[in-house]
Amino acid sequence: MILIKLNGRKVSVEPGAILLEVIRSAGIYVPSLCYLKGKGEPTHPCGLCVVKIEGEGIVRSCKYEIKREISVLTEDEELKGIRRRLLESMVANHYGDCKAPCHGPCPGGLNIQGYIGFIAKGDFRSALALIKERLPLPAVVGRVCPRFCEPICRRAIVDEAVAINNLKRFVADYCLEHGEIPLEVPPSNGKRVAIIGAGPAGLSCAYFLKLKGYEVTIFDQEKEPGGLLRYGIPTFKLPREIVAKEISSILALGIDFVGGRVWGRDFTLKDLRDAGFEAVFIAVGARREKFQGFPGEEKAWSGFRYLFDFSKGLAETEVFRGKRVAILGCSYTAVELSRVLRRLGAEVHVFHPRSRLEVSVPQREIGYAEREGVQFHFATMPLLLEESGQKYKLTLARTTLTEKREIKVVEESAFEEVFDIVFRAWGEVPDTSFREFGEIEAQLEVTGEGTIKVNPQTHQTSVPWVFAGGDFVHGSKTVIQAVASGRRSAQGISAYLEGRAIERAQITVKYDFTRGKRIEDIDVDFTSLFTPEKRASLEERDPGERIQDFEEALVGLTSDEAIREAKRCLRCGCLGIHKCEFREILIKEDVPVSKARKRLKYPINYDHPMIVVDSNKCIACERCVRSCPYSAIFFRVVDKGKPTEYITFRFTEACVNCGVCVDVCPTGALTKKDLLVPYQRDQAKAVKSVCPFCGVGCNLTVWVKNGTILEVTGRDLPPNYGYTCVKGRFGWEFYKSSERLTKPMIRESLEEDFREVSWDTALEFVAEGLRRVYEIYGPSAMGFMCSARVSNEENYLMQKLARSIFKTNNVDCPARV
Amino acid sequence: MADPRRIAFADLANIYLPLRPGSNVPLLNGIAHVIVRDELYDKEFVDKFVENFESYRHYILSEWDLAKASRYTGVKPYLIEQSAYLYAKAGRALILWGLGVSEHRSGSYTAMACANLATLCGYWGKPGCGAMPLRGQNNVQGACDMGGLPYVLPGYQNYQDDSVKRTFEEVWQDVIPTEKGKTLPALLSGALEGKVKALYLMGYDVAMSHGDITEVWRAFHNLEFLVVQDIFMPLSGKFAHAVLPAGCVFEKSGTFTNGERRVQLFERAVSPPGLALPDWLILTKLAQKLGYNWRYESPADIALEIGKVWSGWAGINHERLRERGIQWPCPDINHPGTDILFTSGFPKGKIHLALAKHVPPLEEPTEEFPFVLVTIRKLEHYNIGSMTRRAEPLMRLYPEPVIDINPEDAKTLGIHEGQKVRVWNKRGEVFFRAHITSRVPKGLLFTDFHFDSALTNILVSPGLDELMDTPEYKVSTVALAPA
Repeated sequence: MILIKLNGRKVSVEPGAILLEVIRSAGIYVPSLCYLKGKGEPTHPCGLCVVKIEGEGIVRSCKYEIKREISVLTEDEELKGIRRRLLESMVANHYGDCKAPCHGPCPGGLNIQGYIGFIAKGDFRSALALIKERLPLPAVVGRVCPRFCEPICRRAIVDEAVAINNLKRFVADYCLEHGEIPLEVPPSNGKRVAIIGAGPAGLSCAYFLKLKGYEVTIFDQEKEPGGLLRYGIPTFKLPREIVAKEISSILALGIDFVGGRVWGRDFTLKDLRDAGFEAVFIAVGARREKFQGFPGEEKAWSGFRYLFDFSKGLAETEVFRGKRVAILGCSYTAVELSRVLRRLGAEVHVFHPRSRLEVSVPQREIGYAEREGVQFHFATMPLLLEESGQKYKLTLARTTLTEKREIKVVEESAFEEVFDIVFRAWGEVPDTSFREFGEIEAQLEVTGEGTIKVNPQTHQTSVPWVFAGGDFVHGSKTVIQAVASGRRSAQGISAYLEGRAIERAQITVKYDFTRGKRIEDIDVDFTSLFTPEKRASLEERDPGERIQDFEEALVGLTSDEAIREAKRCLRCGCLGIHKCEFREILIKEDVPVSKARKRLKYPINYDHPMIVVDSNKCIACERCVRSCPYSAIFFRVVDKGKPTEYITFRFTEACVNCGVCVDVCPTGALTKKDLLVPYQRDQAKAVKSVCPFCGVGCNLTVWVKNGTILEVTGRDLPPNYGYTCVKGRFGWEFYKSSERLTKPMIRESLEEDFREVSWDTALEFVAEGLRRVYEIYGPSAMGFMCSARVSNEENYLMQKLARSIFKTNNVDCPARV
Repeated sequence: MADPRRIAFADLANIYLPLRPGSNVPLLNGIAHVIVRDELYDKEFVDKFVENFESYRHYILSEWDLAKASRYTGVKPYLIEQSAYLYAKAGRALILWGLGVSEHRSGSYTAMACANLATLCGYWGKPGCGAMPLRGQNNVQGACDMGGLPYVLPGYQNYQDDSVKRTFEEVWQDVIPTEKGKTLPALLSGALEGKVKALYLMGYDVAMSHGDITEVWRAFHNLEFLVVQDIFMPLSGKFAHAVLPAGCVFEKSGTFTNGERRVQLFERAVSPPGLALPDWLILTKLAQKLGYNWRYESPADIALEIGKVWSGWAGINHERLRERGIQWPCPDINHPGTDILFTSGFPKGKIHLALAKHVPPLEEPTEEFPFVLVTIRKLEHYNIGSMTRRAEPLMRLYPEPVIDINPEDAKTLGIHEGQKVRVWNKRGEVFFRAHITSRVPKGLLFTDFHFDSALTNILVSPGLDELMDTPEYKVSTVALAPA
């Protein structure tokens, strides 16, 4: 043994030990991108593992054999500088996106590229499970989302953006019909949380708390849960049964719902506290109508109230037929209402002071309404509303904008119109009267506008056990934003109740490689790798026909359309990010990537049946070449680290598709064709497994997320030491085949068809059948077959069943096959 | 490397022996002949451990001269001689084999002949030595270890041995049978004779995987009660009265034992689909239905019971396996497991050298059926393919049944690459796509039984291993023509 010093610490080592190994087993960080134990050196080592040895200077620790007592320094400014320069030269030759651009703007933070990847493989249930990790109301949001993601989709440079939201709607609908992967609810932690308001924010908060083990009760003023989803959005846009099914699947996790209880009237925060709730989440939405403030405005009907009453079946519906109706404002409420009124037979005019492009409602929604015959009058504002007999006289004027983009009435443009009914629908804001509800409510701090004040990260109010979110806090926004607010609140509540700080993800934007932040930055050589294809669009029912009923106006995609659409995704986000040691080292060494390459250098190669090769991301570490037991990779690099660097990579015919090269590649240069979900390793569970195929018994790691297997890698243990054959690494998808047996089946005779039965019936039937043969013909008339694919324990039980219960040694197994 | 087909391994071999199918024993006995004749064997080892060297020596020298071995195998005598020298002089050598050894009428004798070579050269109990089958299925070792055989209890213990019987009866709290059990082929003929009435198949699709399967189907038709328990509907399901849906490897925990006796733990990754349950739970619930008080809460409980009935597993439990696998025998909780057997002698003290007998294949090529069909496996698929055919990436690589044909045979019959061909004999006909390759010798055809669209096993010979009843998958005579 030799005693060496590592950063002053004494460590005893075997003579001949490799310094890098010694440093790493001492728990000291020294980076390396090319080192592979026992696999020799690449032609151009990465050089990152440099350390200083007293009296010898700077050496590469991966090739340094310890032969005498040395003193080693692993970190100082000079070493950092060397590493930085080496990393910068790799950065300068790296072209790709760490993360897909669509990922950024989604308020829900959905793994969009991931769920589209699952859909492209036809694995709809896994797609939904990935969505539901962050969004418990996908069928709802799939119908009402304004689609923050689609405008940024790079596919638009090739042809049109991917129909992301329609894909989400498709998988959600598919799973409502065909069932989904069951969620695993942890056992209760005994802590109770009350939620006020059963809209999307409250429901989401309840869902995420339940999945953390909390006991949750939701209180709502209405009889049924759903809030705006049930009462504010009409059925032709969001069918009631879709809302009901999604909500009931959330409540079915074991969440209590108490309807018909009004906060401030029937109970206060103190009452909840006294009832044993340790935290309260308030998400009662924005229900106070906005007013424009012109004379006579109060004479107009309230559009918001009408929509609610209509949804509950309490509203007047017959008075509109053939009538002329005006709607003031172009809020969501206004557009939904206009379409309801068309269905009730009215002639509908919508007036809005701003231009068409300035409305908060997506243009697509205006289009649907227009095609249904709603007439929009933009840049027009009401000045006066008067009643005249049975009718209303509305004075309007044309508008323009000031330099500050404020509305200004165009002089002498006023005109009068007569309507049978006038609605106001300027939108809604949170109610501010809650402070009068009780003593705790009075302590809640509010903003200048009177809305409740919360910590933007935790959603905690000035009363530590009271949290608030959704429209109640930020005013009328979208469903996906309410869901996101509910999710963040759930994190805040659990952090508060467990007495810990909220986990905040490290900001790593400056280490994110991107092919271009703006669309005009993207190299056309990259986009020209893809062939234009038609975007899938939802079939819109004929407007003349659809205004005759309240059925859904848009028909969802078929599975074929969805798969085809999902295949249009450019898969911008790096599918090797979970194994990218390069990125990890850049973050640790604090080397930002703004000087990365902005032009494509090598075409992305899809020729290999299992592996995608993107040499634009190759750092020439040659780990793949050195790991391949079949010498199946032809690799050359010239001018490594220089701007003129050129890499030649090819699989040869010797390749047997084992895939070990992908798993050792420390970047996204080699990725698996069948792994289409970008993920981080710490988000997945690494399950120890053994290959289900041959008798070598390769040790595997199965990477699992949301009840779905993402990929399988080899485990560095005997007998396989990380290696597998093609079946081990790529042959695991059978487990989710639609042909799996899922129900016990029995029949009396072979002439009959099988009938599906419960386990109890099936086992009774089997027990009875075996007992009958045993009693009539005796033990020698029976045989029991063990299996070469089930576990030892199971085989043991099968032969025990035969020997102990049926007293026969007629036991055999597939050792003869 | 001995194989009738020049497989990829042959390209790496020092000596490649392209023997005729069904001539394994002559080849091995020929090698033994050279080792004995030229006194290449380890005299010290033989003196110390072999009990019948003289009678063996006599048998090998008088019965298996090189000319005879060469005549049976079609391998040149000098190649057999050189193989013998290479093996005996290696100092350390390992004999590995696949189903090409087992699936012949003389399969058991071949395994013994392999063991004989290792014994002659003293290649036991040392690293890099021994003789072992490369197990085809991931837990075929475990299925045998656990007593999934008609002639032994778990741990290869004899149920007619009183002390063994006592141990089991104590742990099981029940009487165990001592009447000899029947192998599957014997059970199938029992069913045809109307003597066997019920079968329970767990994860074993006999109707697809057995040799000469039309006979299996007839036997199954004769049963009064057939239960199948599987992850996909097996072909045997056609004849079943009850189908029980089981969880697959990713949906439960448990242990598998590989070909090196390494017991390895696998853990649950995902939930089973629908109502499917892990096999151990189905069996436990069934025993409870039958009025037995089985109380296993998890596979780990069962593992502990196995350690009680078999000392080789006494030191194995799931907790220990979480880190890494353990090779049995592992007699106590502190034992590291046994990576090499026979390091200090042999269980019976002495080794008996078997007088390995040559049993020719049941079928010889005739004018009507001039080809010998050999069943093999493809890298991309596994056994009857029920799992691999449902893994899209593997189907991308190997999507349909293919038969390998020698170029000269193909030319004579007017078959070109990729053409559909018909292969038939008296038992039935099957269609394949032709692949023409010089790796296959003239007169032989090689194909797999991975596909339900080509039930190759219909064609397989009814021959069985003389000692162990293994079907003769490796030699069946057939005719071939373009389809």
